[in-house]
Amino acid sequence: MKFQIEEVTVYFPYDNIYPEQYTYMVELKRALDAKGHCLLEMPTGTGKTIALLSLITSYALAKTESPIKLIYCTRTVHEMEKTLAELKFLHNYQVKHLGAAAKMLAIGLSSRKNLCVNPKVSSAENRDSVDAACRKLTASWVRSMAAENPNQPTCEFYENYDRAAGGAVLPAGVYTLEDLRAFGKEKGWCPYFLARHMVQFANVVVYSYQYLLDPKVAGIISKEMQKESVVVFDEAHNIDNVCIEALSVSVRRQTLEGAIRNISRIENEIDRFKDIDAGRLRAEYNRLVEGLALRGDLSASDAWLANPALPDDILRQAVPGNIRRAEHFLHVLRRLVQYLKVKLDTDKVEKESPVSFVASINSDAGIDQKALKFCYDRLHSLLMTLEITDTDEFLHIQTICDFATLVGTYARGFSIIIEPFDERMPLIPDPVLQLCCHDASLAIKPVFDRFQSVVITSGTLSPIDLYPRLLNFHPVVSRSFKMSLTRDCICPMVLTRGSDQLPVSTKFDMRSDPGVVRNYGKLLVEMVSIVPDGIVCFFVSYSYMDGIINSWNESGILKDIMQHKLVFIETQDVVETTLALDNYRRACDCGRGAVFFSVARGKVAEGIDFDRHYGRLVIMFGVPFQYTESKILRARLEYLRDTFQIKEGDFLTFDALIDVMNIELTDRNLNQRQAAQCVGRVIRSKADYGMMIFADKRYSRHDKRSKLPGWILSHLRDANLNLSTDMALHIAREFLRKMAQPYEKTGSTTGRKTLLSQEDVEKLGNNGAQEMLY
Amino acid sequence: MSSGQVTKRVKYKTSVKDAGTPGRLSLVKERLVFRPNNPNSASKLDMQFKYITNHRYTKEGSNKAPMLNLTSNQGASYIFEFESYEDLHICRDFVGCANLMKFGHKGVAELLHRQQKLQILELIRKFIQNNPAEMICSSVQGCCKTIDYVLHSELQKLHQQFVGGGVLTEAEFWATRKKLLEKDANRKAKQRGGLKSSVLAESKPFIDGRTNRVTFNLTPEIVREIFSEKPAVHRAYLNFVPSKMADKDFWTKYCRAEYLQRSKNIAAAIAEAAEDEELAIFLKPDDILANETRRKIRRVDPTLDMETDQGDDYSHLPDHGIFRDGSKEVAESGNELYQRTLLQDLNRHAAVVLQGTPIDEEQLKDTQTVAEALERSKQERSTASKDDESSADQERLKGISQAMTIDDLRGSNDHHLAPLWIKVLSVLTHNISSTKYNLGKKPGESLLDSLPTSVRDELLHHHISIEELMKHFWSSYPITNKYLNTKVTKLKDEMSKMDSQLQKLKEAVQPDIRHQITLLIRPMQQALEAAMQHYDAEQQKRASKAREKPNGYS
Repeated sequence: MKFQIEEVTVYFPYDNIYPEQYTYMVELKRALDAKGHCLLEMPTGTGKTIALLSLITSYALAKTESPIKLIYCTRTVHEMEKTLAELKFLHNYQVKHLGAAAKMLAIGLSSRKNLCVNPKVSSAENRDSVDAACRKLTASWVRSMAAENPNQPTCEFYENYDRAAGGAVLPAGVYTLEDLRAFGKEKGWCPYFLARHMVQFANVVVYSYQYLLDPKVAGIISKEMQKESVVVFDEAHNIDNVCIEALSVSVRRQTLEGAIRNISRIENEIDRFKDIDAGRLRAEYNRLVEGLALRGDLSASDAWLANPALPDDILRQAVPGNIRRAEHFLHVLRRLVQYLKVKLDTDKVEKESPVSFVASINSDAGIDQKALKFCYDRLHSLLMTLEITDTDEFLHIQTICDFATLVGTYARGFSIIIEPFDERMPLIPDPVLQLCCHDASLAIKPVFDRFQSVVITSGTLSPIDLYPRLLNFHPVVSRSFKMSLTRDCICPMVLTRGSDQLPVSTKFDMRSDPGVVRNYGKLLVEMVSIVPDGIVCFFVSYSYMDGIINSWNESGILKDIMQHKLVFIETQDVVETTLALDNYRRACDCGRGAVFFSVARGKVAEGIDFDRHYGRLVIMFGVPFQYTESKILRARLEYLRDTFQIKEGDFLTFDALIDVMNIELTDRNLNQRQAAQCVGRVIRSKADYGMMIFADKRYSRHDKRSKLPGWILSHLRDANLNLSTDMALHIAREFLRKMAQPYEKTGSTTGRKTLLSQEDVEKLGNNGAQEMLY
Repeated sequence: MSSGQVTKRVKYKTSVKDAGTPGRLSLVKERLVFRPNNPNSASKLDMQFKYITNHRYTKEGSNKAPMLNLTSNQGASYIFEFESYEDLHICRDFVGCANLMKFGHKGVAELLHRQQKLQILELIRKFIQNNPAEMICSSVQGCCKTIDYVLHSELQKLHQQFVGGGVLTEAEFWATRKKLLEKDANRKAKQRGGLKSSVLAESKPFIDGRTNRVTFNLTPEIVREIFSEKPAVHRAYLNFVPSKMADKDFWTKYCRAEYLQRSKNIAAAIAEAAEDEELAIFLKPDDILANETRRKIRRVDPTLDMETDQGDDYSHLPDHGIFRDGSKEVAESGNELYQRTLLQDLNRHAAVVLQGTPIDEEQLKDTQTVAEALERSKQERSTASKDDESSADQERLKGISQAMTIDDLRGSNDHHLAPLWIKVLSVLTHNISSTKYNLGKKPGESLLDSLPTSVRDELLHHHISIEELMKHFWSSYPITNKYLNTKVTKLKDEMSKMDSQLQKLKEAVQPDIRHQITLLIRPMQQALEAAMQHYDAEQQKRASKAREKPNGYS
């Protein structure tokens, strides 16, 4: 459908639209008009992504005089693929209705690991080895060597791309990673470098958060994005964590050992160069004297990860004299590693501020703050000079230099915490020195400063006024939308007792009780026999899941489950989990039906949707915890309290932070963000339906339950608060039967429309949108 | 075996009680040849199929030996006793088909008209299915062609009538005939039983309690499961047994390894594996599986591929990001080489069950057979399915992008082509054809044959056209959009035309057969009437609804 929001004609690829989507677009347009940032919360299942995409692309089409670019950030690559699929759908619609004028270039960008088509390179095991394998074939010195020596291997895809030079362009269209690879293969051009090059010209770029937020990556990828861009962070409820992680580094014993090996290797290289090409090291020295940390003409294929500090904080000064000579720099590194080694050799927890830490390095190891700060750039320059291509071997020394640069750059917003062991496993020594960032606003500041509009949106952003404080920005629009449902398509239940009427819980004293294990098993056995297609189960932890599955296997419960559905399980291996998920979906698609066992704070819970037939029922076995005694978490809370005056009360509904601020530290609490994630992904649209069972007696207590997201609570009826297995089974049967009945999709029978047709939208447009806002 | 020839070892008898002459029976294109083993024996036989008028055979399961009895047009009977029922069936079908041939193409077409098309098709289909391709003689192929042609000429007529006449669109016409467009519909293999959902190999070892002996129970079915879930074990079996070790030793070793795995005694496992390299094979991670995993991960649905996330995540370079804030679980580190967990096994099992292993139940005899059968089917699959896989992937990707759309926001515009199976319709057609058949006085001699050819052809054509119309008409309900509405209106007009044509036909025929014609036409008229009534009722309902809702909901 096509409708007007003020002067903008919005092309929306469906015949109908939800009222939420419409108002969402109206608000978003206001923010774009004001060229400001905004914060929008709208529950999952309301088609947020398509609303965003269609408004922003339509806006760009309407304002041809000042073209805007859309930078769409997703948390993961698979979310990126989903977004691109929706964008493709939208783009086809727009081209159909507008013709060539609607043509645009949209690309998804990822790492070499995900884009490389050279079989020799892409077969490497992990991201870092693919990067290194690529560099071995494409670094400028390798290529100039190949010009003289035909036996020197190079990458034909890169060579072809380089030869095509300006001619290597992507025609208009929407490109997923697979599309890019296919295009690259067809043309013989390297898709990775082509995509990186095309990022400047694309109308829409979709990539993951860190390509903007992590200075190490943003420094090479996102440097040249124009100011007239709209940046969207989708599913942004965890954006603060991404920000602080981007600026945090940990040093462990393995890191230091690796770093020592790296230093020796560099030393050997230096000696070798002294023999064959001493001029090169001298040239580097001269360049550093002149104040250039890096050669200006660095080719794209040489680029390594960028400086870990934020661009504004990097000094444009000459590298200090004491680390200009390669040998001197190595001495400094050796002393630093030695110092850290001593620091790590402690048997008690220590917490320090960066300032005092830097001061003690200066007094104990004789390295001043400025030298620390330049560590990263100096290392980078040295590795380039030495023409090192196997960069994956040098990650340890890079970590040390990242650490040094960060600690030398930032005096506030960070702490250094040294822990001799993980407190949950005090018997296993595993010392770690962590430089952790507490201030999420640091990493995101350049983004807010640089771009015209930044949109932060998610299904759960409550309390919505906390985010501007955490991220330190001033939104022009900050709104939270509710979802209007046509029918009661969500059915949450709290199960407190098993089929034998005994309580069930994962409370510490009960979790290994055979009765509880059996009751949980029986619940699932009953449910698999009545619920069609997919069922997802979440457990509180890997070890708990592992234990319970083993005992179900021994007692024959697992066999009963498998009578009805296939069983797939999340493991700690990402590849295996991905395949299991893929098979799970296939089993649901072909009608075989399956159960997926997953962990409440695992990777699957974080980002995989179990909508439609992929998740007709979600069972949450027990209450997920966050380990809140963590030193890092506590340090962060203290910092937030002192700096942002975020009051205790504000945390009441926010994450696990509550526990620490509010109550005794020993009480562990339900983590709202986690629970919301686990169960919040069952609904894809208003036509979808799903059930959730919270299986733990503690959910019947108000204080635990109230931390569930509001949209779930609003569907939780009092009668469903204290169920046993047989009652839950009955309710499930009734619910499924009800959902199978035909219903009026527009919701006109209930009074308020939950689905708008073209006509309705036009009417709204005439009367002014205000009337229908909530 | 040369093409189009079947040779079986038989005993040739002149009567059932006769002891018989052992020899070879060869069935070639148009003739049947019997050569006795003893060249001096007099009972040679060489005759053409066209002289055979009838054949009988013993039923499987009866106590009698598998015998085939052929009767010639001179009344003589030739009896062959086969070594097995399998042989008998092959020859029987061959003779049956050859028998059909003597009618010639025209004859087959004739038979088809006599409503026996199903039987003939069934016969030929069975023959083709049970015999390797090279054995199917050219005449059978010729017969198939005729059948195809007859069926297609009917189709052509219908197509011209409805699509040419503008009643149906091309797409609508073919939507109900998708099956015909699939060329190899009759090559469909018979359905095979898959693996059981529950993990058989996980069945607990039996411990007798008194001694330290642990007993594992292995059945061919479990072996099949083990082989398909652990390709390395399968490979090891094919390599070692029986050349290097006996079947029993192999399994003893395997069970020993399983036992070590399960007892979670990793130290013991490592120690034993170091001494025994064959045992180590069972304990080591499966390299074939690892390769397969690498291949599969490339083709996984990109919207859930978490591996690509890992490949993109530069915030978590080794030692970057927050390491110990309590959000990550403490992973137990162990000797990964020898650690295979139950969870992994369960995932693998479910994946294999989902994929299916193409082995017939009959092949579940002993481990050797299972191993070989599995190997064969694997090879077949790997050679045949490469292209299929990529196209299936394309198909899947398309499905994914479709799944991205929000169902209830889109108008319903893709329902009108869905072929619908309607019970009323099938009952009606059944009635029609059965009346038609039963009207004949004797079985086998139908009423249709007594009619003049032109009338009969017209009648049959009307019947087929009405069938086609009804199919489209009923599948258009419920009417959810304008498109279906206009389609139904068009169909209705065509139906009234058809009705008057039937009436005309009735009036035009000779008075002596008018009664029979009326009987034949009645069911067709009934079908038309039922449809028209439904149409009128619906139309009225919609009209009254539209009055209630001025917005015109459709």
